[in-house]
Order: sequence, then C-alpha cells, then structure tokens
Amino acid sequence: MMNLVYTYQPLFDYFLLAVGFAYSQQMVLRAGVFSIGSAGFASIGAYFVAIVVKDHGMNAIVALLIATLLGCVGGFLLSIPLARLRGVFQAIATLAFVQIVVSLCLYFDELTGGPQGFNNIPKLVGTWHLLAAVLVTIYFMYVISRSAIGRAFDALRQDETVGATLGISIRKYHMIAFVLSGALAGFFGGMQSLYTFSIEPEMFGFTFLVAALTYIILGGRGTVTGPIIGALIMSVLPELARPLADNRQFFQGILMMVMIAFMPHGVFDGLVLHLRKRRAAARDKLFKEAH
Amino acid sequence: MIAQQLVNGIVTGSVYALFALGFTLIFGTFKILNLAHAGVFMSGAFIGYFAVLNGLPLWLALVLAMIGSGLISYIVELGAFATIRGSGQIEFGALISSIGANLCLMSLGQRLSNTKVLRFPFETFPVEFYEFGPVRFSFLQVIILLVVVVLLMAMMFYLYKTSFGRQIRAVSGNERVASLLGVNPGLVYFQTFFISGALAGVAGIMIGLSFNSIHFYMGEPYLLKAFVVVVLGGLGSVHGAVVAGMLLGIFQNLAVAYLPSALTETIIYGLLFVVLLVKPSGLFGSEGVQVGVARR
Amino acid sequence: MASLVLSNVSKRFGGLLAVSDVNMEVPPGKITGLIGPNGAGKTTVVNMITGLLKLTTGSIKLGDRDISEAEAHEVAFAGVSRTFQNIRLLPEATVLENVVIGFHVHVRSSLFAQLVGLPSSVRETPKLFERGRQLLERFGMSRYADHPAGGLAYGHQRRVEMMRAVATDPKILLLDEPVAGMNDVEATELGDVFKELAASGIGLLLIEHNIRFVNQLCEQVYVLDSGAMIASGTPQEVMHNPAVVAAYLGTKK
Repeated sequence: MMNLVYTYQPLFDYFLLAVGFAYSQQMVLRAGVFSIGSAGFASIGAYFVAIVVKDHGMNAIVALLIATLLGCVGGFLLSIPLARLRGVFQAIATLAFVQIVVSLCLYFDELTGGPQGFNNIPKLVGTWHLLAAVLVTIYFMYVISRSAIGRAFDALRQDETVGATLGISIRKYHMIAFVLSGALAGFFGGMQSLYTFSIEPEMFGFTFLVAALTYIILGGRGTVTGPIIGALIMSVLPELARPLADNRQFFQGILMMVMIAFMPHGVFDGLVLHLRKRRAAARDKLFKEAH
Repeated sequence: MIAQQLVNGIVTGSVYALFALGFTLIFGTFKILNLAHAGVFMSGAFIGYFAVLNGLPLWLALVLAMIGSGLISYIVELGAFATIRGSGQIEFGALISSIGANLCLMSLGQRLSNTKVLRFPFETFPVEFYEFGPVRFSFLQVIILLVVVVLLMAMMFYLYKTSFGRQIRAVSGNERVASLLGVNPGLVYFQTFFISGALAGVAGIMIGLSFNSIHFYMGEPYLLKAFVVVVLGGLGSVHGAVVAGMLLGIFQNLAVAYLPSALTETIIYGLLFVVLLVKPSGLFGSEGVQVGVARR
Repeated sequence: MASLVLSNVSKRFGGLLAVSDVNMEVPPGKITGLIGPNGAGKTTVVNMITGLLKLTTGSIKLGDRDISEAEAHEVAFAGVSRTFQNIRLLPEATVLENVVIGFHVHVRSSLFAQLVGLPSSVRETPKLFERGRQLLERFGMSRYADHPAGGLAYGHQRRVEMMRAVATDPKILLLDEPVAGMNDVEATELGDVFKELAASGIGLLLIEHNIRFVNQLCEQVYVLDSGAMIASGTPQEVMHNPAVVAAYLGTKK
C-alpha cells in the first residue's frame, strides 16, 4: 500500500500543478479572451519566488503572495493594449509576450542562471501544500463562477455584442479575466519553483502553453470541474498503458484533433450540455403526453 | 563585415520567407493559423534525409521532399481542418487541432530519429566557397537563393496569372458562391495545402543542409519566427511575407554581430507585439482587422 | 420618465451616406414605429442608438443625458435595451440563464464580494434567478426554463430575447423586427405583450417591415427610405403620404 502511494505521489503532485495552470488558462478562455499568456506569468512567478527565496532568504509565503500580485499586475498591464485585439491576433500577441519572457530569462543569466536554469531551490512545497492550494483555488473558481462575474464571462464568450448591449463592459471584464489568470499562473509558477528544485526558461514556453490549452480542450471552458477532468486525463492516461506512455505526444495530438472535431465543448462541459438537452427533450415529451 | 552579414541575412531571410509563405497562404485563403506547418517543415527535412541516406541524388531528394511534405500538409488539412469546417468555431478550433496535428508529426519524427539529431552523410553537398572582394558565398547559399527565387516566381505566377489562382481567391472570398460558379472547393483545398506544404518541405531540407542537423523539434523556432514574419508582412499577404522574411533574416544576422542572441530574440518578439498593437494589419497588409465591440 | 431623442443623426460608411439627418423621438409609455423598405437604414439607426456605431453627425439624448458617444454597456446602464433582427441568444446557456444575464445592470454586490464569495454576492444570485423565473412566468415560458436556448423554436427564441431585454428594466426598448417570420396569431399575441410593456411606462420603438402590424400598435410612425426620413405622423397620415407609397411600391418616372 505504501509502495503504491510512493509510486504515484509525484504523478499526483504534477496533476495538482496542472490543475492550477489549467484554471489560469480557463479563466481567460471562459471570458472569450483568446490569450495563451499564462506561461509568461507562470515564468515570472516561478523565477521571482526562486530568486528571492534562495538568494535572499525571503519567507516562502510572502514570496508566493508577491508572485501572485506580480501575476495580477502583469495581467492588468497586458490587458490594456490587448483590449484592441481579438481572436488569432490576441493569441499571437500573447504568444509574443511568452517568447519575450523566455528570452529575457535567457538574457539576464546572472539573475536567472540563463539556459542552465536556476538550480538548488529549497524544496518547501509538498503534496499537502499543493493539495491545499488547489482546494482553495477550486473554492474561488466556484464562487466566481456562481457570481455576476462568471455570468458576464459566459455571456462575453458566447456573444460579445449581446453582452455589451446588456450592460457588460467588455474592457472591464476582459481585464478582470487577465488579472485573475495572471494571479493563478504567478502563484502556481511560484509553487512549482518551490516543488521542483530547479527551473529553466524553456519550461514556460511553447510546450507549457500547449499543455495548458490541452487540459481545457479536454475538460471544458465553462465549468469548474472541466479543468480537473482535463488535467486528470492527461496525467492518468499515459499511466494506464505502456504504449500510451511511449507515444504520449502522439496521443495528446490525436486527442486534441478528435475533441475539437467531435466534442468541441470538452468532456465535462459537453456532458453537461448533453444532459441538459436530454432532460429538455424528456420534459417536452411529458408535457405533450399530459396535453 | 557588414556586407558579409547582409549576404548571410538575405539567405536566411529567403528561407524564412519560404516557410512563412505557405503559412500565410493558408491564413489568407482560409483564415486559419496552421501550426502544423512546423511539423510539415520537419517532415520535408526527414524525407530528404532518408532519400539521401538511401543513395538517391540530392536533387531527387529535394523533389521527393516537396511532394512528400505537400501530401502530408494535405493529410493535416483532412485530419485537422476538414473535420471542423462549418462548425462556427473555426478560428479557435483550427489553432487547437493544428497544434494536435503538429504534436503527432513531431512524435512520428521522434520515433523515426530515435530522439537523435540526424546528419547528412559526409559530402552530400560539395563544400565550396566563392569570394567576391570581402564577401564569401558558399555554393549552398547560392543554391538556396536560386531555389527560393525560382519557387517564389513560380508561386506568384501560379497565384496571380493562372485560373487556379483565381479559383483559390474565389473560394477564400466565398466558398458557396465559388462552387456555384463551377469551382471545385475540394480541389482548391488540396492545391493550397499541397503548395503550402511543398514550400515548407523545401525550407526544411534547406535548413537541414545549412546546419547539417535534422531533429524532430526543428520546426518550432521557425514557426515562432513565421508568426513575426507574417504579422509584419500582414497576415495573408504573400508579398508582405517575402519582404518581412528578408528583413527579419537580415536583422538577425546583423544583430548577431553586435547583440547577445537572447536580446535579439527579445527585440524580435517585442517588435511583433508592438506591430500587433499599432498596426495589426501589418506593414504591408491593408485588410481591416476586427477589433471588438466599440463604436466604429 | 425620459424620452429618447435623435437630432440630425447621420452615418457615413466610407463614401456611402447610410443614414442622413434623422430626427426622431421615442416617448415613454408609447409604441413608436420605424418603418421602411429593406436597406433603408433602420438597423443602422438602432446600432447608433445602442452604442455599436459611431455617429457621423448629430446627437442622441435620453432625457437630459447625451448618449451619442456612450459605449454599448453605458447605453444599457442608461436604460436602453434592444433585441436583434437575427435573434442572438447565448446558445449554450439555458433560457433562464439567458434571462438572468439581462439582470446584469441590477447587480449590487461589489466585485470584491463576488471574487471572494461574501454573503452579499452569494445571496444575490438565487434572488436574481427567482426574479428570472417570475419573468418567465409573465411571458408564459416557465416550462422552458432549463432548456438550452439554442434548441428552441423560432417564436420562442424571439420571446427569450425579449424577456432578456425587459430584464434590464429599460426606459426605452428597441425591437428590431420582432414579429418577422411569425404568423398572424403569434404576432397579435406579441402585440398584446408590447401594449402591456408600454402601459408599464416603457417607451417602445418598433422597427418593422409589416406595416399592418405597426398600424395596429403605434400612435406615431416614422418612415425611413434610403437613409432619409421621408415622412412621420399618425399611421393614417403616413399611409396616405405619396412619398411613402412611392417608396414601398416604386414610382413611375
């Protein structure tokens, strides 16, 4: 029994980190913002925490709070120019932001360790910390999704013009989405630093943002459960069968194509929508029989 | 020194242009970002490598790489884009499913190469240099430039002087109207993706030869550069991609002499960011760009 | 209550003058008609009022407040709501959720309360849903509350859109061809709903194609043709105006 726990504990830890980053990615997509900038904020949070905790001996909790704040400020600043862009242009601009962060981390190598990475970060975060962080995040995600903010996000994602004519300020709510997404990425970036001993610039590049997108495509954009399901599928699936683990990327690719083609809302959101339709049809039938 | 960097820059830039051309052609025609273009580029290099390894002459390897990567590009269209056409979510969906297709291609490349860097056999390409005053050309550079110029001219002719080119533009305007006018959209999709893929394949083999190194993740940096090129040139603009590709190549080669490479990258992506904000239609594009709900 | 007043409003798209020098008033508590042939510029006028298009010249006022430059969401907060000619519902959301999003302008809990889940926000949500159910009841749509809005029949979708607009509790309600594609029975039913809304003090602007329907409901009718206001007055006056007859039936020149 204990063996089983030891074998799967790292897997579980990575799953928890994945859930955190998935929520960061979901926050923007939920509001209809096509940003893939989470990787950049995660990088900022991770490097900040690593540097101040290892080199300056800052308290880890304080460092994590500041990393969260940095994510907020970064999200806020990025949202101002990006308010003018939509769709693929938003995606490309945020990709440029991610690349700028990567190249800056490489350039300031005295501070960041450059391409060799930043090593020997004290390991202050374990499974329980990650679990607590994810649970608190789930609480916030739930509260937000049940509030007027969540409803405004859902409206803007489905039809921006309609949202605006009903009084939803697109600029304001997109900004909120950026700030919250940045906060989550900054925080979990910091957690990852304190968990993995070492970080390097490319960890928060293209591969990172593809992974974060995958969780949301698999799980769903509109529900709190969606990202958990998405991260779970990507963490557990390769463990189920050896061939899946050997061809992890191949299956990830196939999954992305199949999901977008046949279940564009994701596994969980798709299920919710499907059940809704079925229930509506059943009620219609009952109604017709009664009359 | 500067003249030498300029020459190197033009050669690098011409390969950037070749890569970006297929990318921007697909965006201009179908309004989708095809991230699997990186995988197709890598496929071209792989096909060329295995052809040479099996004793075929280099020119034949080049032709095979073109045809092969053209077909792979069409397979990507069938697997990743044809399935979601008309779903109303093409913009977001295409990005995701092309990332998926790219992962598949990369994963196949990884298997084929056993995660190793592949190198062409010794003397696949004659290493010769020509000197013109202070400037030194390699034979390879001359060939690259020549091939790129020929392909560009062929493509311009094809796009702007033939009925196929008109059909492509008709379908990009309105697919239903075009098919009412007797254009076969399926054929147009095939041609566009085939041409786009063939160009990427040539770019792949050229890069493989230049650095004599072929690996399964070689496409990613070129894809990221392609974003810069096509946005600078105007998303969808063929002429713009050529000019912007050249400019980027020249800038990069000049910068190498004076700046640390990481800083060059910062400047390039910073430029991409700024252009998107100031003039999202690019330096040469004229099309209006959607900017959300505001009084217009 | 406040009137919506358009003064000398024009809109130019490039070289094309889509709307020129339009003057119009939508008073509270009444149904005002705006009719005209296809392409006359009716929807352009609505888009300018609701903050989606910039005015080339002129001004739009709601009571004392100038909303000519206000953004779309500010126009909504000022008290102008609308429906769309080509119905625009939130397709993934249920009917009830579609209506509840219309209550956005009435949300009182602060952003902070919503973010951290303070009671003011947590308690507000079920209240808004309860108000949504009441509204559904009023429009006879209760049994569709949990249906996905995208799957409803056409006439029902129009009703959902209207409920959503009413949910904002508007001073002025702009209805862009609300009975298009409906039969006479459905249209008459909806006409009664409009009268009820007007009686509650809302000023309605009915943009229509169907002249008969407009004549039944409106006291004041404006006629737009090729972007210009060619006539206004009671339905009777307007119907006998030779310019209007010519615009609808074509002229012999």
